[in-house]
Amino acid sequence: MSHRRRLAAIVVLVVLAMVAACNRGGTETSARPRVGLVLKTLNSPFFIEMQRGAEEAAKRLNVDLVVQAADREIDVERQMQIIENLIQSRVGALAITPAGSREVVPAVGKANAAGIPTIIVDTRLDPKASADAGVKTVTFIGSDNVLGGKMIGEYLVKVSGGNAKVAILEGIPGHETGDSRVKGFRGAVGAAPGIAIVASQPANWERDQGFTVFQNILQAHPEIDTVFACNDMMALGAIEAIASAGRAGKIRVLGFDAVQDARKAIVEGKMEASVAQFPDEMGRVAVESAVKALKGETVPPDQGVRIALVTRENAKQ
Amino acid sequence: MHPRFLASGRRLGTLAGLFGLCLLLWILTPHFLTVSNLLNVLEQTAINAVIAAGMTFVIISGGIDLSVGSLVALSGVVLGTLLHAGVPMPVAIAASLGVGFFFGVLNGLAITWGRLPPFIATLGMMSVARGCALLFTDGRPVSGFDAAFRNLATARVFGIPAPVLVAIGVYIVAWFVLSKTRFGRYVYAIGGNEEATRLSGVNVRLHKMCVYGVSGLASAVAAVLLTSRLNSAQPIAGIMYELDAIAATVIGGTSLMGGEGGLGGTIIGALIMGVLRNGLNLLGVSSFVQQIVIGLVIVFAVLIDTALKSRRT
Repeated sequence: MSHRRRLAAIVVLVVLAMVAACNRGGTETSARPRVGLVLKTLNSPFFIEMQRGAEEAAKRLNVDLVVQAADREIDVERQMQIIENLIQSRVGALAITPAGSREVVPAVGKANAAGIPTIIVDTRLDPKASADAGVKTVTFIGSDNVLGGKMIGEYLVKVSGGNAKVAILEGIPGHETGDSRVKGFRGAVGAAPGIAIVASQPANWERDQGFTVFQNILQAHPEIDTVFACNDMMALGAIEAIASAGRAGKIRVLGFDAVQDARKAIVEGKMEASVAQFPDEMGRVAVESAVKALKGETVPPDQGVRIALVTRENAKQ
Repeated sequence: MHPRFLASGRRLGTLAGLFGLCLLLWILTPHFLTVSNLLNVLEQTAINAVIAAGMTFVIISGGIDLSVGSLVALSGVVLGTLLHAGVPMPVAIAASLGVGFFFGVLNGLAITWGRLPPFIATLGMMSVARGCALLFTDGRPVSGFDAAFRNLATARVFGIPAPVLVAIGVYIVAWFVLSKTRFGRYVYAIGGNEEATRLSGVNVRLHKMCVYGVSGLASAVAAVLLTSRLNSAQPIAGIMYELDAIAATVIGGTSLMGGEGGLGGTIIGALIMGVLRNGLNLLGVSSFVQQIVIGLVIVFAVLIDTALKSRRT
């Protein structure tokens, strides 16, 4: 029996030590405004950049910023739990990057009921779902993904001279971000009759899925000469698939996000172009908007963050 | 020492762990021990607790069910699609529970008649059911349901959230089945010594099939709660829920070797995980550190289990 008690005591002590160690400077009583930033994940460069931008703004504006994310990007139920828990810890304002544009709506409803101003970043809430639920948000901050898709589509029309056989790697089906990029891209290439979209399949934003899905597409459609991936991770996966098919340099790769690895691939000539977003700016604007909302100042309902086409000329940054 | 006494002693140990954790959080943050937060934790724990109830049956019988997360997704999208098609709510829910039970029984068939190890059979089902859910919905979520269905997540009875009441109901029924029926006794017997149980004239195949049916059914109940909670049925829902359910069961003292354990421990195990996640969010602990802490708790809980066993033998 004493053996068991000793083990139990060890468990409690370890947890105590870990929590105490992690809870450095958790000043509950300070008058600084407390803002919760709920990200989709913390294991992608995009959201790490966003966190960095938010932390810089928080430091400058003297905000107590709490950043939390689910273990898995698609785990929207866990994201809802985090939002509920932050509501319980009485944050002054919430900034959320929805893991599901419809599924997060009930959680935003709970924040509304608790009187906590809520800011949506990067992925829009589904307009119908939020109207049906009657939820209110302070502002949306994000890139114009339709415009980004259009930019890369127009670039393709220009460099291909209006002739290309294209495969599209989509994100997770039903995600507003990916759908908008595809929409913008299709709109732009639709103007060129010589450009045919031969295949369009989801690869769920992931590098390894980008690899296998594009490998399969290449088997079925060897005539493809261009791939547009809705994010760079999938594009990088596609580059590996192209290399393993022995067709390196023969297929044009277009991505989105301009992450570090993609910029490198563009410089090396393995990739043609990508669209840069500025997640650090999204994080910064999110914290600034939260502070404004807490002071009762007006915040514009839609705040677009700049985007830019990245090609070989400007990839080294 | 009498095994039953040991089992209850283990449960007391787990319960003490839960109280210790609550005490710790009460000291560390003023936001933990409030009525609204405790109800919040219970509400968040309900889904995992319901899946873990089914998992407890499976693990006591000496098996494992890796398909529960995918079955949550599949039953959920069936439910969502039927609701959208205008099927009355009780019928749609019954159909979704039927799908969960049916796929669970298929697991059981593969394990008993196909003689596959449960790990392999349910690993296969994990992929098959996920694929079915994606195929069925073309990969897209089915969302937006009427208020009557949403009530399953949002309603409160005497202040208690509806999902919590559903979970309590599930545990009462499951407890009755596991400890008061012949089926329940056979589940323990099969997990303890399958061969001896078979030789004493018990239809082991039938009962094992039912065990996996129960697990599938529990996943479907969880799917109803999840779909209502998110107001959406996602074919990608429930990924890795099997690990949470196994963790809750194991923290609760049910042995992965089968033959011992119980639902009381599982509910405490699920609560420990829920309280831990809630507390770490309230404290604003980094998401990465949260994963480490939860992993350590699981490992230590099993460490205690193993230490106890080595003392007994």
